[in-house]
Amino acid sequence: MTSQSRSLRLVYVWEKPVRLFHWLNALSLIVLGVTGYIIGNPPALMNSSEASFSYWFGINRFIHFLAAYIFVAAWIIRLYWSFAGNAHARWSAIVMLKKEQWGEVFRVFMTDILQVKGYDTRHSAGHNALACASYLVLGLVSLFQVLSGFTLYAGMSASWFPGLFTWVMRFFESEESLRQWHHISMWFFAVFLIFHLYIINFHDQRERKGLFSSIFNGFKVLEKD
Amino acid sequence: MNAKKPLPGKLQKRLTLWEQMRSHGHSRRDFLKLCGWLAAAAGIEAGALSKVVHALETKPRPPVVWFHFQECTCCSESFIRSSHPLVADIVLDKISLDYTETLQAAAGHQAEKSLHDTMTKYKGQYLMLVEGSVPTADGGVHCCIGGRTALDIVTEAARDAQAIVAWGSCASNGCVQAARPNPTSATPIHKIISGKPIINVPGCPPIGEVMAGTIVHLLTFGRIPQLDSQGRPKAFYSRRVHDTCYRRPNFDAGLFAESFDDENARKGYCLYKLGCRGPTTYNACAVTRWNEGVSFPIQSGHGCIGCSEAGFWDNGPFYEELPSFPGFGIESTADSIGLTAVAAAAAGVAAHAAYAGLRRKADGEKDQDKGGE
Amino acid sequence: MAKRVVVDPITRIEGHLRIEAEIKDGKIVDAYSSGTMVRGLEIILQGRDPRDAWAYTQRACGVCTTVHALASVRTVEDALGISVPPNAELIRNLMFCAQYMQDHVVHFYHLHALDWVDVVNALKADPRQTSEIQKSISRWPKSSPKYFADVQARVKAFAESGQLGIFANAYWGHPAYKLPPEVNLLGVAHYLEALEWQKELVKVHTIFGGKNPHPNYLVGGVPCAINTEEVNALNADRLAHVGTLFDHAREFIEQVYIPDLLAVAGFYKDWGAIGGGLENYLAYGDLPTAGYNNPDSFKFPRGIIVGRNLAEVLPVDGNNAEEIQEFISHSWYEYSDGDQAGRHPYAGETKLNYTGPKPPYDQLNVDQKYSWLKTPRWKGKPMEVGPLARMLVAYASGREDAQEVVNSALKALNVPVAALFSTLGRTAARGLETQLVSNWSKEFYAQLLANIKNGDTSTFNGERWEPESWPAEARGVGMTEAPRGALAHWIVIKNRKIDNYQLVVPSTWNASPRDPQGQRSAYEAALVGTPVADPEQPVEILRTIHSFDPCIACAVH
Ligand code: HEM
Ligand code: HEM
Ligand code: NFV
Ligand code: SF4
Ligand code: SF4
Ligand code: F3S
Ligand SMILES: [Mg+2]
Repeated sequence: MTSQSRSLRLVYVWEKPVRLFHWLNALSLIVLGVTGYIIGNPPALMNSSEASFSYWFGINRFIHFLAAYIFVAAWIIRLYWSFAGNAHARWSAIVMLKKEQWGEVFRVFMTDILQVKGYDTRHSAGHNALACASYLVLGLVSLFQVLSGFTLYAGMSASWFPGLFTWVMRFFESEESLRQWHHISMWFFAVFLIFHLYIINFHDQRERKGLFSSIFNGFKVLEKD
Repeated sequence: MNAKKPLPGKLQKRLTLWEQMRSHGHSRRDFLKLCGWLAAAAGIEAGALSKVVHALETKPRPPVVWFHFQECTCCSESFIRSSHPLVADIVLDKISLDYTETLQAAAGHQAEKSLHDTMTKYKGQYLMLVEGSVPTADGGVHCCIGGRTALDIVTEAARDAQAIVAWGSCASNGCVQAARPNPTSATPIHKIISGKPIINVPGCPPIGEVMAGTIVHLLTFGRIPQLDSQGRPKAFYSRRVHDTCYRRPNFDAGLFAESFDDENARKGYCLYKLGCRGPTTYNACAVTRWNEGVSFPIQSGHGCIGCSEAGFWDNGPFYEELPSFPGFGIESTADSIGLTAVAAAAAGVAAHAAYAGLRRKADGEKDQDKGGE
Repeated sequence: MAKRVVVDPITRIEGHLRIEAEIKDGKIVDAYSSGTMVRGLEIILQGRDPRDAWAYTQRACGVCTTVHALASVRTVEDALGISVPPNAELIRNLMFCAQYMQDHVVHFYHLHALDWVDVVNALKADPRQTSEIQKSISRWPKSSPKYFADVQARVKAFAESGQLGIFANAYWGHPAYKLPPEVNLLGVAHYLEALEWQKELVKVHTIFGGKNPHPNYLVGGVPCAINTEEVNALNADRLAHVGTLFDHAREFIEQVYIPDLLAVAGFYKDWGAIGGGLENYLAYGDLPTAGYNNPDSFKFPRGIIVGRNLAEVLPVDGNNAEEIQEFISHSWYEYSDGDQAGRHPYAGETKLNYTGPKPPYDQLNVDQKYSWLKTPRWKGKPMEVGPLARMLVAYASGREDAQEVVNSALKALNVPVAALFSTLGRTAARGLETQLVSNWSKEFYAQLLANIKNGDTSTFNGERWEPESWPAEARGVGMTEAPRGALAHWIVIKNRKIDNYQLVVPSTWNASPRDPQGQRSAYEAALVGTPVADPEQPVEILRTIHSFDPCIACAVH
C-alpha cells in the first residue's frame, strides 16, 4: 500500500450529537479533574484575608458539581445516540459482543501497539475495535465516578437527584473510603487522555485518514474500495 | 425496622409516676392535675381520664440490661457524663438498670442472678444495651464472662429483648478491634442479631447527651426513633460534622491550617488539610458538642478522625487528607499512586513512539530499497 | 480440703476479670486472676503511621482515657527525638491532673465504696446525726438535716419500688459492713453527688482535647493553639474556665473525698493488715517540670522499692533488655522461641493462642495457661504498681509533700507505717495522691499563664512531623504514671511504619497470672490471706481486688 495508489473519499462518520458529546464530555471531564484535584489538594494560602471576603473553595466545588451535571447530560445524549445514530455511533459498534470485534481488538493490538507486521490493518471506518474497548472502559469508570460522586454529593445536597444514589453506600464501608476511590479514579482519566491523544496522533500520522479533524467536522478520509 | 413498636407496657409492681411524685413531695391533686393535662395534650376525652391515671399509676420503670463485651468502657464513661438528663436521674427515676458490670453492686453469681431475674421476669419487655463488639473467631473464646462466650450471652439475651441499642462504634461497627487484621473477628451486634429492632449509636464514644437522648426518646415517645440506612437515629446522625462545623466558612473560603500551631491554626482556620474527616462523618459533635457543649475536637484544634463512621480506623493516616491504600505502604495516597500511573503511561507512550519511529525508519529504508528496483 | 470460689464477672471495675480463689478455714490460701477478653491492639498497630498510634492505644481504655495517648506520643517522640514546647508539657500535665482527680473520685465512690458502704442500711439512719457528722468533718455546704432526709427519702422510694436496679442482689447486711447507718447515709449522698461532680472536671480535657472520654493528643505537642486575641483558640476565657474547673474540683476533693476516706477508713482499720501482697513496688514517675527527659524534675519520682525497704530506691531503665520483660507461660499467647523465656518489649511478640477450656466452663485450668494478660517482671521480680507504689517511692525518695500527707493520714487514723502495705493502704494512698495532684495542678496552671503572659504561646514542635524527616529505623519507649500505676509503651519504627508496638500496662503488672517460676503477681499475692466470712458472698475478695482499681481492657489490650 503506497500513497501513490490511494484513491480517496470523504465519509461522514461522526454526526453532530457524537461531536457534541465528545466535546462536552472532554470539557466537563477536564474541569472535573482539575476542580476535583483542587478539592483533594487545596493550595496553601497563608494570608490575612477573612472568610467573609472569599468563597473560592466553595466556588471550586460548585464548578465541580456543575461540571458533574454537564458530564451526566453529555453521557445521556451519547447513550441516546447509540440507539438513534449511524452505524459508527451505535452501541453494537462499541460494545464488543461479536467475535469479529474481538478479532479486530487482537489485530489492532498486534499491529499498533506491538508493531508486529502481517496483520490486516484496514480497521473499521468508525473507531477501530481497540479504541472501542478503551471507550468502553472509559464509560464504565465514568459511570463509577457519577455513582460515587453523586453519592458523596447526596450528603450535602437537598436535591432529589443525588438522593437517587444513596444505595451505592451499601457497597462501601464508609464515605471516606468511597471518597478515596472517587479520588483515585480521577487518575484513570489522566492516563486515558495520554493514550487517547497519543494513539490518535499516531494513527493520523500513519494512516492519514484525517482523524484529528474528524472529531471537529465529522469527516474521515477513507480509501475507495 | 419497626419504627412504632411501643416499649415495655404494663408490668408488675414497680415505682410508678404517682409514687415518684409522692416521694418528691407532690400531692395527689398535683398528680391528677398532671394526668388531666397529659390527657388533654393527648386529646383524650374526660371520661377516659381515669384510664390515663391508671396507666401512669401502674407503669413501672422499664427494665434495662447493659452488656460489656469487647470494649474499653468509654461508652459507659461517656454516658455518665450526660448532663441532661443527669445520669443519676436516669438510673434512679427513669429506668431500672438491672445489669451493668461497671456500676452494679453485686458481682459473680449474684450479678448473673440479677440478669437472669430480669430476663425471666420481664421476658420480651426489657431493653438491651450493648457496649462492645462480639468476637466470633475460634468459637468466641476471646471474650468470656462467667465462663460463657459473649456470643452465647448476646444471642440468649437478645431473644427476649424488646429492643437493642448498640452503644458506640464497637457495638455498631466493630471499632478498633475490628480494624485490619481484626485478630479476633470482632463483629458488631447487627451482624449477629436479626429480627429485633437495633438502634446503632456510633461514636468512639458517642456523646453522653446523645446516648441519654436516645434512651429518653425511647421512654418519652415510647417508640424507636427514626433511623437512617445504617440504623442510626436521624435525630443525631443526619448531618455531617462538616455541614454543621463553625469553621466551614473558612473551608469555603479556602483558608486552611497547614500545620498545627501555625498562623492559620491559631486563627482557627479549617483543619481539612490536617486530615479532618468532618466531610465524611455523620455526627452531632459540631451542634451538641461535648461535655455540656464545652467544645468538640475541631474547636480544640484537632481534626475529626471520623470516630462515628464504620471502618474509620482503616481510613488512616489521620493527618493526611485522604486515607492511604492498604498494601501500598503508608505514604501511598491516591495521588502518589495516580501520579505513578500517569508517569508510567507517559513513559509507555514515549517508548512506543521511539520504537515506532525506529520501525518506520527501517521500513522506509526498505521501501527505498524496493523503490530502487 | 480447700473450696474453690469463682467470682466472674468481678463487677465495678473496667473490663472482664475472673478470680478463682481457694478458701480454707475462712481464709484465702491461693488465688488466680484471669483476664477473659482480648482485642489484639498490638497486632492491629503493626504497619500503621506512628503519629496515629496514640488514638489506637487510647482505645485500650475509656476509663483512664488519656494515659495511653500520653504514653504513646511520648514513645514516638522518644523514638524520633522530638521534644515538645513547655506549654505543651504543661497542658499535658493539667490533663493528667484532671484525669487523676476524676478517675480516683469515681473509683472511690462508684467502684469501691459499695464494698464498705451498706446502701440499704442507710435507710435506718437519722439524717440529723448524719448532718452532724458531715459538719464535724468538713465545711462542705450540703450538710443540712433536710438534705440528708431528702436523699434518704429518695433511696427509700427507690428501695420500695422493688426494682433495685444496680443495687440488686448485693451483699447488704453482710457482717463485714461496719459503718453506722448515719455514715452509710453520708456515703450514699456523696455517691450521688460524686456522680454529678465527675462530669465537670473532665471539661478540662474537652477544652484542651476537644472531648472526653478520649480527648485528642498530638505527637510533638498538643493540638490546641494558644491565641489570646482569638475566639477560636485558647484565650483568656477558655483558660479561666480551666482554672474554675480545677478550683471547684479541689473543693470537692478537700471537703468531701478526703474527709470521707478518713471517716470510712476509721471503721475498717483491720483492713490495714489485710491484702498487702507483694513487697516490691515500681513507679516510672511523671509530671515533668523541666522536660520529660529529665526524670529528676518529675513531681512523682521514678524508682523501685524491693522488699518494702524504704531506705533505698532503685533506678529503672526501660531500654535495658534485662530489666522489663513479659512472660507468657500462663497466658494464652505463643512466642516464637518457646513460652518459658521472657521478652523485652522491643522484641515483644503478640500471637493469640487460646488453650483454655472450651466455653461454657466452670473452672480454668490454672496449672497451665489461664489468662489473656501477659506477665511483666522487673529483673524477674513481680512488682506492684499504682497509687501505693507511687506514694512509697515518693516517700522513700524523700519528697516532703508526699511524706507530709502520708504521715498526717497515718496520724489521723492512728495506724503504723506498716498499715500502708495493705488493702486499706492502697485505697488511702489513692486519696492522698489525689490531694497532692490537686495541689500541683495550681502550679501548672499558674506556670502556663505566666508563659503566655511572657509571650510564649507555642504548643507544637513540627520539626519531625513529616515522615520524610525520620530515620529509616528508630525505636523508643514512653513512660507515664497512669492512675492505676506505671505505664509504658515501646515502639519500633521501620520505613516510617510501626514495625512493633508493645504496651505494658499497670493492670498487666498487677492482675497478671503467675510467671514461669510460679511467682504470683499483685492481685493473686494480695488475696492470699484475705478472710472470707461467707464464700457465697465474697465481699472481702471485692475489697482487696477493688483496692487496685482493676482495668482489664487496659491490661490485655
Ligand atoms: C478528556 C478528554 C477526552 C475524552 C474523555 C475523550 C473521549 C473520547 C471518546 C469517548 C471518543 C469516542 C467517541 C464516540 O464514539 O462517541 C473519542 C473519540 C475521539 N476523540 Fe476524544 N476525548 C478526549 C479528548 C480529545 C481531544 C483533546 C482530541 C483531539 C483534539 C480528541 C480526539 C478524538 C478523536 C479524533 C476521536 C475519534 C477517534 C476514533 O475514531 O476512535 N479527543 N474521544
Ligand atoms: C468523572 C469525573 C470526575 C472526576 C475526575 C472527579 C474527581 C474528583 C476528585 C479528585 C475529588 C476530590 C476527592 C477528595 O480528595 O476529596 C472529587 C470530589 C468530589 N466529587 Fe468528583 N469527580 C468526578 C465526577 C464527579 C461527579 C459526576 C460528581 C457528582 C456530583 C462528583 C462529586 C464529587 C463530590 C461530592 C466530591 C467531594 C467534594 C467535597 O468533599 O467537598 N464528582 N472529585
Ligand atoms: N491499668 C490501667 Fe489504665 C489506668 N490507669 C492504664 O494504663 O485503666 Ni483503664
Ligand atoms: S466505641 Fe470506642 S469509645 Fe466506645 S467502647 Fe468502643 S473503643 Fe471505647
Ligand atoms: S474543620 Fe473539618 S469539618 Fe470543619 S469545615 Fe474544615 S474540614 Fe469541615
Ligand atoms: S472524631 Fe468523633 S467526636 Fe466527633 S468530631 Fe469527629 S465524630
Ligand atoms: Mg502488651
